[in-house]
Amino acid sequence: MIFQSIPKELDELLRVLAFWDHILVGLGKTMWLYAWALLIGFFLGLLLALSRQYGGRIISRIATGYVEIIRGTPLLAQLFLFYFLPFSINSFLDDRGLPFIPIGRWSFYVSTTMFGRTMTMVLLDHLTLIGILTLGLNSAAYQAEYLRGAVMSVSTGQLEAAQSLGMSRRRGILHVVLPQALRRVIPSWSNEAAYLPKYTVLVFYIGVTEIFAQAHYIISETFLTLTVYIVVAVIFLILISLISKVLDVIYKRMAIPGL
Amino acid sequence: MDKTILKVVDVWKSYDDLEVLKGISFELAEKEVKVIFGPSGSGKSTLLRCINMLTPPDKGEIYLSGQNLMAPEVNLNAIRSKIGIVFQHFNLFAHLKAIDNVSIGLRRVKGLTKEEARVKALDMLDQVKMKNWAEHYPAQLSGGQQQRVGIARALAMEPNLILFDEPTSALDPELIGEVLQIMLKIARAGTTMVVVTHEMGFARAVASEMIFLDQGVIVERGTPNHFFQSPKSERVKYFLRQIDILYGSHEALLKEPNEEEIK
Repeated sequence: MIFQSIPKELDELLRVLAFWDHILVGLGKTMWLYAWALLIGFFLGLLLALSRQYGGRIISRIATGYVEIIRGTPLLAQLFLFYFLPFSINSFLDDRGLPFIPIGRWSFYVSTTMFGRTMTMVLLDHLTLIGILTLGLNSAAYQAEYLRGAVMSVSTGQLEAAQSLGMSRRRGILHVVLPQALRRVIPSWSNEAAYLPKYTVLVFYIGVTEIFAQAHYIISETFLTLTVYIVVAVIFLILISLISKVLDVIYKRMAIPGL
Repeated sequence: MDKTILKVVDVWKSYDDLEVLKGISFELAEKEVKVIFGPSGSGKSTLLRCINMLTPPDKGEIYLSGQNLMAPEVNLNAIRSKIGIVFQHFNLFAHLKAIDNVSIGLRRVKGLTKEEARVKALDMLDQVKMKNWAEHYPAQLSGGQQQRVGIARALAMEPNLILFDEPTSALDPELIGEVLQIMLKIARAGTTMVVVTHEMGFARAVASEMIFLDQGVIVERGTPNHFFQSPKSERVKYFLRQIDILYGSHEALLKEPNEEEIK
C-alpha cells in the first residue's frame, strides 16, 4: 500500500511556493512597474485631458491625436517600438561615427536577505526604463479620457463663477474644476487602475523580469505549469481586489457632503 | 452720488447668425439700482455677461469707472474682481463649504491670509443671515440659502457693482422672499446693482430706472412709476400683463381691457 502523507495537489503547490523568493521579487517588480506607469500616466493624462478640453484648436488636436494613436495601436507593438528604437538610433549614429547610447550597461537594484534567501530586484535599467515609459505613455491616453469625462461633467457655470471672482482661467481650473473632477473621476478611473497591473505582464516580452518571467523560471525548474499560473492568477486577484477596495474607500472619504 | 460707475455704449453681440444685442446703451451711477426686464431670449443675460466680459461684445464700449474694458491692454481678471455677479443657478463651488465659497476669492484673488479671509467671510455670511450655515456644503442648503451665499460671495469682493442674473427665477416661490429681502437690504445700503429680474415688487421698491429689453434692443425705459402707471409701447403692456397673470398681485396696476396679442 502506498502511503501518501499529503495530497498530490497540495504537494505541487508547496513545491511551487518553495520558490517564494522568486515570486516575491516578481511581484515587487510588477508593483514597481505598475506604480510608476500609473503615476506617469496620471500626470500626463491630466495634461492631455486639460489640453483637449481647454487647449484651443491646435493643442487640443495634438492631444486628441496622441490619445487616438496610443489607443488605436497594440501595447505590445508600442513596447517593441521603444525596445528597438534605441538600437536603430545607435546604428544610425554608428554609421556616422558618432558616440552611441549606452544600452544595457547600467542598472540600479536593491538586494535583501530574508530567511537565508537573497533577493535582488532591479529598480531601473535599460529594459525597466523602456517598460515603465511605454506603460506610462500608454496608460496616459486611457487615463486622459477618464479625466476628460470628469472635467467635462463639471458644469461650465463653476469655471465662470471662478472667473467672475477675478480668478484667471488657469486658477479657476486648478481651484474649482479639478478638485471636483478628481473626485468624480475615481469610479471610472478605477478601471484603468485595475487593468494596468495586468498590462504590465507584457513587458515580459522585452525581457523585464517581472512576475511572469519569474513564473517561467519556476516552471522550468518544476514543470508544474498549471499550478504556477494558478498561483500567479490568485496573486493578481488579491492585488486587484485590494486596489478596488482602496479606491472605493478613497472615493467615499472624498465625497462632497450632500451630493 | 452722481459718479458714473458703468457706462455701456452701443453694445452689439451675436452668436453665429443670431443677433442677441443690437446696440444697447445705458449708464449707471454709484449707488444706483437698475432693473432690466424683458421676455426670455431678449438678451438680458447676454448683456450681463458682456458687462463682466465673460462674453466680450462684438462691437461697442463698456466703461467701468471710466476704464474702457474693450481696450486690449486691460487685465480682465482684475476687472472681473470689481464686478460681482449673482447667477440664476447660484453656481456655488460644489466642493467648498459656504464659508470657503465666500473666502476663496478673498484668498486667491485679493491675497488675504486664511484667517483674514475667514473673518471677513463670516461677516459677509452674517449679512445674508447665513452665518449659522457657514460649515455646510452647497448641496446641503436650500436654493434660497445657496443664493444668499452667492450674494455674500459677490459682496465679499467689495465690487464696484454687482450684477444679478435672474437671482430668484430658479427658486421655489417660498424661498424667493428671503433672497429678495437680502437684495433690498444691500440695495438700501448703497450697493450699485444691475438686476435682471421679473420681481416687480423689488423693482418698484429700489429701482431708480427700469429698462425693458426685447429682441436685443431697449424698447422702453423709465422709472418704476412710469412702467406701472403709463407704459407706452404695446409690447411692454403685454409683457407686464403676463407678469401680472403669473403673480396675480397687481390687478389694480394694469387695467388693460383689450386682449389683442402683440407679437
